[in-house]
Amino acid sequence: MNAPLSGPGSATQTPGREPARSGLPRTSRTARHHAPITATGLVAKVVLLGLVAGIAIWAAFPLVEAGHWLGLGVLAATTAGLFYLYLGRRHIPAKYLVPGTLFLLAFQVLPVLFTASTAFTNYGDGHRGSKDDAIVAIQTSSVKQVPGSTEYALTIATTGDPATGDLVFLLSDPKTREAFAGDAGGLRKLDAADVTVSNLSGKVTAADGYTVLTIGQASGRSDAVTALIVPTDGGAIRANGLTRAYEGKAARAYDAGCDCVTDDETGRTWTADEKVGSFVAADGERLTQGWKVNVGWKNFGAVLTDSNISGPFFGTLAWNFAFAIGSTGLTFLLGMAIALALHSPRMRGTNVYRVLLILPYAMPSFAMLLVWRDMFNTDFGLLNNLFGLDVDWFGGTWSARIAVLLVQLWLGYPYMFLVATGALQAIPAELTEATSVDGASPWQSFRAVTLPLLLVALSPLLIASFAFNFNNVNAILFTTEGGPFAPDNPRNGATDLLITYTYRLAFGAQGAEYGLAATVSIFIFAIVATLSAVSFRRTRKQEEVYS
Amino acid sequence: MRIRTAGVVAVLGLALAASGCGDSGSDKPAAGESPKASGGKLVIWADDKRAAALKPFAEEFGKENGVTVEVQAVSKDLQTNFVTASQQGSGPDVVVGAHDWIGNLVQNGSIDPVQLSAEQKAGFNETAVKAVTFNGQLYGVPYATENLALIRNTELAPEAPKTIEDLVAAGKKLKADKKASEILCLQSGQNGDAYHIYPLYTSAGGYLFGTAANGDYDPKDLGVGKPESIAAFQKIAKLGEKGEGALKRSITGENSIITFTGKKCAFLVSGPWAIAEAKKANIKYDISPVPGFAGGKEARPFVGVQAFYVAAKGKNKALAQEFVTNYVSKPELAVALYRAEPRPPALTAAFDQVKGEDPDLAKFSEAGKNGQVLPAIPAMAAIWDPFGKAEAAVIGGADPAKTITAAGKTIQAQIK
Amino acid sequence: MTTIAQTPAARRARGRWFAQVGWRHLVGVLAVLFSLFPILFVISAALNPLGTLSSTELLPTGASLENFTNLFDRTAFGHWFLNSLLLAGVASFASIFLSALAAYAFSRMRFAGRRIGLLTLLLIQMFPQFLAIVAIFLIFTTITDLYPGIGFNTPWGLFLLYMGGALGANTWLMKGFFDTLPKELDESATMDGASHVQVFFRIMLPLVAPILAVTGLLAFIGSINEFIIANVFLTNTESKTLAVGMYGLVAGERNNNFGMFAAGTLLTAIPTVLVFQLLQRYIVSGLTSGAVKG
Repeated sequence: MNAPLSGPGSATQTPGREPARSGLPRTSRTARHHAPITATGLVAKVVLLGLVAGIAIWAAFPLVEAGHWLGLGVLAATTAGLFYLYLGRRHIPAKYLVPGTLFLLAFQVLPVLFTASTAFTNYGDGHRGSKDDAIVAIQTSSVKQVPGSTEYALTIATTGDPATGDLVFLLSDPKTREAFAGDAGGLRKLDAADVTVSNLSGKVTAADGYTVLTIGQASGRSDAVTALIVPTDGGAIRANGLTRAYEGKAARAYDAGCDCVTDDETGRTWTADEKVGSFVAADGERLTQGWKVNVGWKNFGAVLTDSNISGPFFGTLAWNFAFAIGSTGLTFLLGMAIALALHSPRMRGTNVYRVLLILPYAMPSFAMLLVWRDMFNTDFGLLNNLFGLDVDWFGGTWSARIAVLLVQLWLGYPYMFLVATGALQAIPAELTEATSVDGASPWQSFRAVTLPLLLVALSPLLIASFAFNFNNVNAILFTTEGGPFAPDNPRNGATDLLITYTYRLAFGAQGAEYGLAATVSIFIFAIVATLSAVSFRRTRKQEEVYS
Repeated sequence: MRIRTAGVVAVLGLALAASGCGDSGSDKPAAGESPKASGGKLVIWADDKRAAALKPFAEEFGKENGVTVEVQAVSKDLQTNFVTASQQGSGPDVVVGAHDWIGNLVQNGSIDPVQLSAEQKAGFNETAVKAVTFNGQLYGVPYATENLALIRNTELAPEAPKTIEDLVAAGKKLKADKKASEILCLQSGQNGDAYHIYPLYTSAGGYLFGTAANGDYDPKDLGVGKPESIAAFQKIAKLGEKGEGALKRSITGENSIITFTGKKCAFLVSGPWAIAEAKKANIKYDISPVPGFAGGKEARPFVGVQAFYVAAKGKNKALAQEFVTNYVSKPELAVALYRAEPRPPALTAAFDQVKGEDPDLAKFSEAGKNGQVLPAIPAMAAIWDPFGKAEAAVIGGADPAKTITAAGKTIQAQIK
Repeated sequence: MTTIAQTPAARRARGRWFAQVGWRHLVGVLAVLFSLFPILFVISAALNPLGTLSSTELLPTGASLENFTNLFDRTAFGHWFLNSLLLAGVASFASIFLSALAAYAFSRMRFAGRRIGLLTLLLIQMFPQFLAIVAIFLIFTTITDLYPGIGFNTPWGLFLLYMGGALGANTWLMKGFFDTLPKELDESATMDGASHVQVFFRIMLPLVAPILAVTGLLAFIGSINEFIIANVFLTNTESKTLAVGMYGLVAGERNNNFGMFAAGTLLTAIPTVLVFQLLQRYIVSGLTSGAVKG
């Protein structure tokens, strides 16, 4: 019965057989191994490679400008590689694989590798940046106004061209109306005769020898304004915005000698601990701002030993498979059943049915997920009201699972209906008729002929659908959010997939913990990879059948 | 067939060419000019609602000062995205958000302290200033405060209930008379809502964090899981689905206000944001403090503050400081923001100005007088999710002692 | 008398009709009901001028276009719509082209690392994308600095990112379909002197039109619905896509904007339905042609 499918049979057919639908121009029968280079092919090649060269040149300028030599090197190597590949006659598979692979490497593989590498760090909230970042943040956030110091009205000026001249702060004391000029060298009093101070704002509006900048001009040099610090006896004068300045002092300072941070006011010190990436005081108190450090296998140990994480792991994994198989299987079964029902030469109006049935698939799924969530509400939801039910849908483990699968069924079956219809129409009627002549019941002929053919045709689609649903975050986050949760375990719910569970681990705790989440992802990845590799090995046989 | 595939290739080529040309054509000059040209650019991130309210005023600021201002709305995970983007240097200059983000933003070095003069500071509502103060530093400029209150339909319930018990009795009577279908609209949802249950939790004797010597919240003294919290949840359980039926998981953030404006419940626990809808639906309403349990403590809602922050790694920090400390702190702007979205302004001058025209404002601030400032310490982030889920479980009939002890353990494990 | 005599016959005729065709219509009608009732709810919300969630009944109570006009007046819906259309259109075209190329190589050629490559493509999709957001920020901050035209807030930057996923999503599907085409088709063409490029463009691509249509539709719908990455990528109101912009409508004020949201949902469905109508004849005309005819 499977004869029509078996590839090996066809592979032994005579090579000279006419292809069924070949529109091939027969230019030369002699050129077996060296196909002639046609004019179109040549033009296409020149245009495409020209495009590559053009893009490369366009991309090179900013790299040179920024002095990004590594980037330039990668660009040059990639371009050269592309030219080598497409100008040569060898490496034919690579010619087809490289375009997509380049994108894959840049925008999927690289991010995944980067993410995986964070599994060995404490990367997360409070530990995102480098130690230098943390020191800067600690010092900046400890700057306080010097008690009793003057609040100046600030005017930003330059000694020369507004765009390039050296910046100067023109300061005036609103009480005494005295004016000063301040720069990195310190503060100088200005002669009252040389400056004009506005009565309205108390700001210096003009001063001899300085060009006063407008707010717009000054904001164009924002970095320089922020960087300019005018040293004073009590601390330093800093700009606070573009119209005011204050005298401030950083209470905490980092000392490279002891690798510690000291607070001037209290005298407390916090010493850097490179193991945890924090400044820690003698009594164990940590400064808020930490930095990213390598923690080795610590996260892996935590995943294995923390019963909160590893405890629900296998239960979640099982449900995750059930969900992915259920979503794929149920949509397939329903889609196929309806396709079979509508697949009859005597049916009228199949087109109308088809257009209406496909609509759920056309609606934006995130919107419909939210609509479905409201429909499942116990007291106000459409489902309970319409059918007079009193089911606490998202409150019970199994009702929530059924609800989630029902939503998936609704969202996904039109697609399966569509592809099953396509597949059914391609099955020659003679095949099924032949079986009924043999006296087989419709069910038997379906089992023996239709179903195997459908499965062969649709199995790649089913695999793709399975892979998609395995990580279908939206299906859960927009509906149950993983719930219901057992009263004594708020970290893992009955409808949680591994990915939503990881999401909660990463973002649900005290700030985001990317390191831990990456570790959990690696575990998930390892399990899934093993399972897939095993089943993939088994598909080898199947692939040989029809390749 | 051949034509179609050729078409695919042609379209693809065109698309690539267009992208190449478009970039070199339109963006090159911009990239070359903008950093050198005078007039910087200020980028502000906010959620959708606030971005819309802020836009005209931010643009006004830009026009006055000859700079470009862009207000961008981040619809989901604004805080996380801000931290991540900031870290990489592609974040905004100013971000708008609730004050309880401060702990997390500071620990990531994402925001800088702001320097307000003593005079400016004195102009703000004291609670608001306290809310944006973290580790002794001021980190944001507040513009509005908000807290929960009890909003009631005066046609159905003319009298403000003194206690929760009164409220339940009144609600049950209305339900029996078929005048309402719910006793109380207090949103919980399947996964709970710590913010909305908090007044009842405090009234029943529970607390989240103790206070340290300097008046800050002390993450080492966690109240969840303590005997007080178990007692509190036992009281809450009595109002739940297996008890009085006043608290239900089917009442969610999406439907609680609507159920109230649809006259299906007489009492709603919500904030200033609910008023606009009540007005739209022509409901006769009044606002009073959230009542506590008879013989219990006061019901203390959280007081939240919306504030502007200066990003530590913004590209235009000086301009951002100018905007946040000198522009946002003006009463005119606060009044205008109030008109766009009616939440009590944090600036006393602005509050006084609009108080006269809107009696609800005073009632809300009255309801928030005994409120507690929402803790801004990073440990607070560990509370929301487990606490909410425990609440939902208890409302649904789970054993309070077991549930809250477990929630306390989970929270404790996450606080470092 | 006559009626009694006729009834059994008529009943039998009707019974036969039902057994052969009628039940099929019954199934069809039930399926249509299942498909449509949540959509009916959306339509009714879109036409309801109050536009709130709970005030909406299953059947429309009003027929006001207020929500639609508000959508265009008060939000940048027009921009979002065009952005999505452009992005989804270009991205789906490009991605099916890239994956068709790869699928051809995987199906027709034998080379070292072929099976590993296939497995890698499948597995790489299993890695949670939301974790990669940090890395995406890292990459695109650099890109934005160097080439603002393909950086944050541009459709082209997002397009590049989506191309990263082009192979993973569709290659498997297409490879499976390529496998079902009999090998002697291209063998004989090669014998006739066709180059591998000619075989691919002139023989293979036309034959796999149905699967190109299916994956094209999938890619189109996928891009229209993509939210997680687009949300971090597009912050400028006018550069947002439908998914991001519309989510913003209901993120804060679910009730107030629900009517507008519903209206937007319906409008969003239009391009997808049109694309479907355009592609449906290829899809329906035989996904298994190769498998059966081989």
